[in-house]
Amino acid sequence: MGALMKVAGIHHAYGGRAVLRGVDMELPRGSLVGIVGENGAGKSTLLKILAGELRPDRGVVRHEGRFGYCPQQVILNDSFTVRQHLELFRTAYSLPDLRRAEEIMEALNFREYAGERVGALSGGTRQKLNLTLALIHDPDVLLLDEPYQGFDWETYVRFWQLAVQLRTSAQSVLVVSHLAYDVDRLDVLWRLKEGVLCAGAGLAS
Amino acid sequence: MSPSLARFVIATRFTLIEHVRNRFAVALVLLFVPLWISLGQFMIVDMGVSFRLWATGEILVARGNELTQISGALNAVTLIVGFAMFSVTFSSGTFDRRLAMAGYPRPQLLLAKVASLVLASAVVSLYATAVMWAYWSPRQPVLLAVSLFSAAVTYGAVGVALGTVVRRELEGIFLVVMISVIDLALQNPIASKGADTALVRLLPSYGAMQSASAAGFSHSVLLSCLGVQLVWFVGAALLSLLAFRRRTRSAVTGRVPSSTQGAPCSLPTARRPKSTTRS
Ligand SMILES: Nc1ncnc2c1ncn2[C@@H]1O[C@H](COP(=O)(O)OP(=O)(O)OP(=O)(O)O)[C@@H](O)[C@H]1O
Ligand SMILES: [Mg+2]
Repeated sequence: MGALMKVAGIHHAYGGRAVLRGVDMELPRGSLVGIVGENGAGKSTLLKILAGELRPDRGVVRHEGRFGYCPQQVILNDSFTVRQHLELFRTAYSLPDLRRAEEIMEALNFREYAGERVGALSGGTRQKLNLTLALIHDPDVLLLDEPYQGFDWETYVRFWQLAVQLRTSAQSVLVVSHLAYDVDRLDVLWRLKEGVLCAGAGLAS
Repeated sequence: MSPSLARFVIATRFTLIEHVRNRFAVALVLLFVPLWISLGQFMIVDMGVSFRLWATGEILVARGNELTQISGALNAVTLIVGFAMFSVTFSSGTFDRRLAMAGYPRPQLLLAKVASLVLASAVVSLYATAVMWAYWSPRQPVLLAVSLFSAAVTYGAVGVALGTVVRRELEGIFLVVMISVIDLALQNPIASKGADTALVRLLPSYGAMQSASAAGFSHSVLLSCLGVQLVWFVGAALLSLLAFRRRTRSAVTGRVPSSTQGAPCSLPTARRPKSTTRS
């Protein structure tokens, strides 16, 4: 099977500061890929470009299929409850029902908060919803920016179980993080350094 | 219900929920409107004054406190609706963008904002008219409510535009307050000499003020003034439309994708697998 996403020659600068200087990569179908890098290395910038949030100065991104994007900054509306968020995104994605959303809430263990107003949730629970909104339409490609920030240990483990499940069903998952704990779960690990991706073997800290 | 209508209804419902959750704006409506109007009623002398309606040159006779209530009511409805629309637009800007990028059709999102603006303006204007009616009898109460409404929707649209453009919340609130205060202070038919009527005619609620004064104290219906107000509203609405499109557009092509068709540029939601290239 071919790649679900191909990226070639991505360059990006903020003002005079070059952040990405020629990023090339492929995301094969059914793969779990990690990108690590220091704070400020440009990981979020790269993901925004892949998600179409930001236009690169140069370079090509080819996508196939639907994708879901979970931004590093939690983007929710404090006036709405968890269930209202799901309802809005169900409409956005044109889904017939919220069965998948229920499963994910179950997996991430925050179903009991369905009726709560998001403004009153804990940071970790907000992040669970932030992540869930990127998953409920069963995308072919998942772009996740620091998806487990603020998760407790059990949720962290459940997150990886979920990621492995997705890979099994031929979806591709790209996880960006400044931590490289879980290299053994990944098919490929890249390190973003000085604006380019290099093979990141043996990075476990 | 067709899917696109259903999306519009859902978006409107959620926008209204957001407004109602804005406790401060709701409290402003409940307290500030009657407070302002009552202060006009009791603190301003009820001496008869005559003033010239700039729009027609007609001389109208009114009690000072009643005339003050009209400009106070205009001040209150423009501030409240302007503030409420600003605050909702400002705080949900990135969220709206995320929703749009996920495939929520932008026209429906935008129309929902317009619907909530119209509803909020109607409620606040009717309320203000009712409070004034409790104190005295405007000659044409319906026209008075319509005039207040026309100013409220104008400021609401200004609020949406500001909410999309400014970087910090205080900047936007300050701008709404400043515009409304200057606008209405200069139009006070008694205090302001109307010396420079050319300037006064250019103020954003000039049409509404003229029409509201005529509604309070005469039997004239100043359609041309309501027309002027309509032009202000359309201008402000177009500005906010452009700002909203800019804010929610996808960076992929710079175009706004029509997500219902899974346009190729709408990457996050392309319904059918397809290949897209951008460079
Ligand atoms: N909107 C912006 N304007 C100007 N500079 C920016 C902007 N966003 C990011 N930068 C700069 O670009 C660089 C890369 O930022 P980015 O957020 O992509 O890093 P990151 O690898 O995701 O970091 P972290 O691990 O902290 O999330 C940083 O030096 C940052 O200061
Ligand atoms: Mg980042």
